[in-house]
Amino acid sequence: MSILNTIIIDGMSFTLPLFIMAIGGIYSERSGITNLALEGLQGMGAFVGALVATILMRSMGTDSAVPYYMAMLFAVIGGTVYAMLHALLCIRFRANQVISGVVMNILASALTAFLTKSINRNIFGAASDKFDLGVSARFTVPGISKIPILGAFFTRVYPFEVIIVVIAVIAWYFLYRTTFGMRLRACGDNPHAVDAAGGDVAKTRFIAVLVSGALSGLAGICFAYSISAKFSSDIYVGYGYLAIAGYIFGNWNLLPTLGACLIFGMSRSAGYQIVQMLGMPSAYSDLVMILPYVLTLVLLIFLSKNNHAPAALGEIYDKSKR
Amino acid sequence: MKTKHRFLQVAVISVLLSLLAGAVVILILGKNPLNAYYNLLQGCGLAPKPKYAGGKSMLTDLSSYIDFLTPMIFAALSYAVAMRAGLFNIGISGQMLVSGFLASITVGYSTLSAPIAKPLVIVIGVLGGTAVGALIGYLKYKFNINEVVSSIMLNYIASYVISFFIHTRFIDPVSRQSKTISDAARLTLHQVVIGGYKYDIPIGFAIAIVMVFLFKFIFDRTVFGYELKAVGLNRTAARYAGISVKRTIILSMTISGALAGLAGATYYLGYFASIQPKTLISTGYDAIAVGLLGNNDPVGILVASFLIQIIEKGSTYMSSQAGLESEIASVITGLILLFSACNTYFLGRMQEADSRRQEKMLRAKENTEDISTAENKTDGGTSNNQENKDNSENAEEVKR
Repeated sequence: MSILNTIIIDGMSFTLPLFIMAIGGIYSERSGITNLALEGLQGMGAFVGALVATILMRSMGTDSAVPYYMAMLFAVIGGTVYAMLHALLCIRFRANQVISGVVMNILASALTAFLTKSINRNIFGAASDKFDLGVSARFTVPGISKIPILGAFFTRVYPFEVIIVVIAVIAWYFLYRTTFGMRLRACGDNPHAVDAAGGDVAKTRFIAVLVSGALSGLAGICFAYSISAKFSSDIYVGYGYLAIAGYIFGNWNLLPTLGACLIFGMSRSAGYQIVQMLGMPSAYSDLVMILPYVLTLVLLIFLSKNNHAPAALGEIYDKSKR
Repeated sequence: MKTKHRFLQVAVISVLLSLLAGAVVILILGKNPLNAYYNLLQGCGLAPKPKYAGGKSMLTDLSSYIDFLTPMIFAALSYAVAMRAGLFNIGISGQMLVSGFLASITVGYSTLSAPIAKPLVIVIGVLGGTAVGALIGYLKYKFNINEVVSSIMLNYIASYVISFFIHTRFIDPVSRQSKTISDAARLTLHQVVIGGYKYDIPIGFAIAIVMVFLFKFIFDRTVFGYELKAVGLNRTAARYAGISVKRTIILSMTISGALAGLAGATYYLGYFASIQPKTLISTGYDAIAVGLLGNNDPVGILVASFLIQIIEKGSTYMSSQAGLESEIASVITGLILLFSACNTYFLGRMQEADSRRQEKMLRAKENTEDISTAENKTDGGTSNNQENKDNSENAEEVKR
């Protein structure tokens, strides 16, 4: 297998979860709610998913595919339920949305670390700070995968990548082609207009934040099943913030955001391949790890001038104000 | 004064609610929450332990706790300076790491004597933090990059780059941490024997207390403090008032970075004497809880950091005594954060209740006034006549 193929295969398995999380962020922010909580949401989703998978694996064995898909489902549920807290804080309790987001992240990492240890000790009877999941099975599409370069996108694909692509298309359709999507986008730019037109701003924003929770939860369990092969506090390495940087580049639009996520994913896997190819010691992979973050900063410097955040982003909506 | 009083109420309620929620969790795990909380105090030398190892006493525990408290005061002040100007410095951990690393490799591994090394550590620590803070402020004002995103990116970049250098140049193969710094450079007089007991005496604590009152003065009594507040409350209004918003933003981020640098120096070259690679410490995030709880007021911060650090520091002892995971401490801190984040809402509700009460009082007053006017009505006839007379006078004036 050529190096280019490996870069694409590894890059895609990182890009797509990042992208689906960024889509969630776009939903939330286009509706006017700043969402720095993505990091915590994906962690909480991964935790709930991994817990369910661990319980199921104990009764069904590790060969069954059921725990894998149930983990996906419950990660989505876990992310959604946890996102409800962010929505409540921002919409009902009128908290500062930036602070609320950061609080969500801190609480998520504290809670999941505590619960993981407690559950392992009190229920599974083992002192451990992680849930081992193993790496998801992969599949290769016969035929198409033989095409040079392009075929790499169909080689050794994780099943969750397919799920993500399908959901991304649906998310695109809902955001840009339905009344709900239009209303959601309007909530972020001019909530008073939505109110005047008979829409419910609070309800729309609530749903948008829940969507971001659901999608981030899915992303979290995907990271757990691919990069880390387990759930532990390793899940909090800033992928949520990378996703945020992704949609800021993408100017809060889906397709440009995909481009940004592709840059992150590919630069990351390319860096790893270069370290391996040159036979450098493992400490050098630390230097490679900074590539996506440095790229983020550099690109933000060049792109942020043309960026237009949703006009009402981060503002607490007050019906009585004009 | 009244809102300050209300704020204190909300803060106390937040803490009590969080402790209550924590107690419920501990109860569910089948442990006694009161014992667990008492263990927290014992772990910080604020309550006597049943027995002590050689050279240890309640006072040595207390000295170690104050050593642990010192970086938090700096970190929370750092958060407050930025937050006053409406900036969210979530990069405190990264700034601490940069300053700690720079001070370690320049002074910590040198053979300088203590009177030169200790001040130099502080200077280099401050410079390191300042550089990172200023960069974030510059990116914010020049390119309008959200400070939260840029400081988190810098957090990870700092963490990985420093981890790279520690692994390749400064690793201690046994502890898997960076090599221990010289005692001369350490800002804590480590394990000083006084009367048979070994104390940790943090030099930084005195500086921290000075800083608290210095910033109290700056915030409340200086033009700069006023400008910070104006920019934080309403940037547009501040601009119209002739305040240079850009200058204030950069300056507040720079000062915030400098304080984070002090926190880093007192943490990595004080409480600890080495750096664990690839780890961003939680102090930078706990500082947010402290700042929120203390309402970004320096004295409030001093009290709040005292409280939060009891939970963080005492958790190790609690974990060993009560058999609870020490992570429960972070959960309780997180809950305090969660409740404090809603403080605007609670304050609003309290004000609403206040104004409703005032309205009620007003109405009651009006009612009594109504009664008195009703009494006046008995001689209403005369006043009517008066009016008629006035009208006719007016009419005459018009005729003229």
